[in-house]
Amino acid sequence: MTTNAEEQSFLADRPFPYCKGCGHGLVARRLNEALVRLRLDPGRIVLTTDIGCVGLVDPLFPAVHTVHTIHGRSTAIAAGAVLADTLLGEGRMKNIVMIGDGGATIGLLHLTQAALMNVDLTVLLHNNMLYGMTGGQHSALTPAGFATSTTAQGNWVPALDMEQLLRGCQAGFFARQIATDAELGDVIAEAIAFPGFALVEILELCTGFGVPLNKMDGRTLRAMAEADGRGLGVRLRRDDRRPYHDVYRERFPAATGQPETTPAGPSVTQVFAHGLDRPRTVIIAGSAGERVQTAAAVLCQAAVLSRLHCVQKNDYPVTVGSGFSLSEVKLAPEPILYTGIDAPDAVLITSADGLKEIRGRGDLGRLAAGGVVIADESLAAELPSDRTLSLPLRQRLSPDMAALGAVAVLNERTGILDREAIRAAIGVLAGGDSERLERALAAAATLGA
Amino acid sequence: MTEGRAASAPSGLKLRSGNQMVVEGALRAGCRFFSGYPITPASEIYREMTLRLQARGDVALGAPDEISALSYCIGASQRGVKAMTATSGPGWALMVEAFQYALMTETPVVVVLVQRLGPSTGGATQGGQGDVLVAEFSTSGGYTVPVFAPSTPLECFALTIRAFNWSEVLRTPVVVLSDKEVAMTYETVDLDRLPEIPVRSRPLATAEGYRPVEFGALDEVPPFSPVSGPRKVTLTGSAHNKDGWLRKNDAETLDVLRHLEAKVRARAVDMAEVSRDFQDDAETLVVSYGITSRAALEAVRLGRAMGRRLSFLGLLTLFPVPVDAIREAAGTAKRVVVAEENLSGLYRQVLAGTLPGIELHGVNKLGGMIRPAEILEVL
Repeated sequence: MTTNAEEQSFLADRPFPYCKGCGHGLVARRLNEALVRLRLDPGRIVLTTDIGCVGLVDPLFPAVHTVHTIHGRSTAIAAGAVLADTLLGEGRMKNIVMIGDGGATIGLLHLTQAALMNVDLTVLLHNNMLYGMTGGQHSALTPAGFATSTTAQGNWVPALDMEQLLRGCQAGFFARQIATDAELGDVIAEAIAFPGFALVEILELCTGFGVPLNKMDGRTLRAMAEADGRGLGVRLRRDDRRPYHDVYRERFPAATGQPETTPAGPSVTQVFAHGLDRPRTVIIAGSAGERVQTAAAVLCQAAVLSRLHCVQKNDYPVTVGSGFSLSEVKLAPEPILYTGIDAPDAVLITSADGLKEIRGRGDLGRLAAGGVVIADESLAAELPSDRTLSLPLRQRLSPDMAALGAVAVLNERTGILDREAIRAAIGVLAGGDSERLERALAAAATLGA
Repeated sequence: MTEGRAASAPSGLKLRSGNQMVVEGALRAGCRFFSGYPITPASEIYREMTLRLQARGDVALGAPDEISALSYCIGASQRGVKAMTATSGPGWALMVEAFQYALMTETPVVVVLVQRLGPSTGGATQGGQGDVLVAEFSTSGGYTVPVFAPSTPLECFALTIRAFNWSEVLRTPVVVLSDKEVAMTYETVDLDRLPEIPVRSRPLATAEGYRPVEFGALDEVPPFSPVSGPRKVTLTGSAHNKDGWLRKNDAETLDVLRHLEAKVRARAVDMAEVSRDFQDDAETLVVSYGITSRAALEAVRLGRAMGRRLSFLGLLTLFPVPVDAIREAAGTAKRVVVAEENLSGLYRQVLAGTLPGIELHGVNKLGGMIRPAEILEVL
């Protein structure tokens, strides 16, 4: 590379590795023209290249950064680099993705996502309508009628129209040119200068497979594009879309440089006494949306405030918002090793959904010696009367307070925790809702008495 | 286990899940870029990293698939930013190609793989330890991938920092192998007493005449220079020489490949982390990792109370295999019992080669955590 702008070139003084007549060499020359015209510092330029003959370009541009990637992923790797540079670095990177129609096929989602986000990068899509390096197989960009080694009589599936696809992605810039077009260098320069996602689709013929299988040349290629309704030139330019890093930075202002701290949340300095001399286990089961896990969290938080070790596990069907909701809680004066519950000391059931799940798990049969069941009175007929305390939890406290009520009743009966610890736990966890939970707590105390 | 007694003052005691403590560890380690795709049981990491990073103006990206998620992270790391993603078995399957690319291009990145029941979609909310070997051996060519396996929220914190440190120091991708039971269970954690682990970063190029893959001895780690930085960078996932150019089978290129393994192997002893609870003249050593190691330690304690002579070794580093620690733990024991939540004893198969002449037994299970009683049966 020389410093004289007139003679400046980013291209290495070495023969091109492409087949004679291949459009890839033309694209490399036009890219060089564009870079010279834009007077870009080579240290700012990153060429991110995909797999295939298109990926042979790296050594042709010896002064710029080159990142040769994996098939189709070039756009995603480039997008990660651009976002790191624009949001966490100096924002000086110009990333140019060199990809073929095969890479665009396998990596289509990375292209559409970069276009949707409007990541500030430029894609040069070398579309020779087949996979050249591996023997001329058809891609998703092979037009109907075009012969390849795997569509010998002509492709019978229409080609993906990149322009229509990118319009659907609200892409900022799209152009289509033939590799031999004189204006290709200008168009590439415009794409690189465009502040956002820009893709230039360059139509080429693979001299190894496309030309012999289709008896085509540059003129017939142009005619084919026109016949297919694929217009040439800059087809789309939207200056109303801001690049992704601008939008992101506006929403999330830059870091202040403060060291990372671990937010501990609201703090309670009071230490509560407890009556726990050995590990205790509780299973709480009810219906989704009825705050079963909140009740378990209150119990655990109260235990934490009492300097106890605690484990909480939640279970629910994949649908999250329907069916059962279940929490397992283990409290212990010493660190807990095994987190499972083999023989529960208490099973709290607040709804039919919860009972069904408890039955399915077989928890009632595994109840520890001296274990208790506290259940809503609506389930009384289905539970062993000698070990079950049936209470009007749902009716008196409301369905979504029933689980917390059951926890409060259990605590009153067993005296594991200080009642005030539970109250303090509600303060820590429930925020604006704590008044309602505290009322339920008070009501539950009278229920279980 | 690294969990200590409860603190005397309760203000730092909080309920935290393993996933949440992975997030704390990542942020403490200097992670500034996260990209994720939703998948149970790793989604909580995605959500919390997103909230935390965005709140400080760092980058969190929702990806359209797991391939994109890891590819974004790799691009960010090539630009010089510490990056992480988190997934589970099905997502890991999609990431393997990009993971290998990170290995070949010596790009630091941390992948948290939260195991669930497999194969295939398996059980999204069920635990499992079935990804031990796919985490390690999915890479073509027999290269060692560092894999750390936490068993508690506190270990999630510590091992995530160590994973970042080793990823940076070695310039290689590292896996934190969690599992649903560690990841989604909330436990008491003393946030005031988190371990202070020095944070390390990749060696940076300073000299003129930078070569992208510069090393003398095979086990040296080449200094890093970012893309779009002051030194021209040449990266490729293809076999390459020290200048980063694609080459086929010349001596220097083969050296670069050997170097990828040598740099990890050379630090295997430093990477080995275990938790020990030994008994003199133990007849049986119980080895386990992840969630099952907690049941194993409980079983060992119960067994000793019954008069059996037992030692326990919990593996926090799974790969490189902490061979010395395992042999030391085996001591004069006649048998080694390996407890793990998978069908065929995946890690037991790895250990078989390191403990010649010792009787190896497995405690294995699918669909639920192994109970201490189930381990005790064979002790």
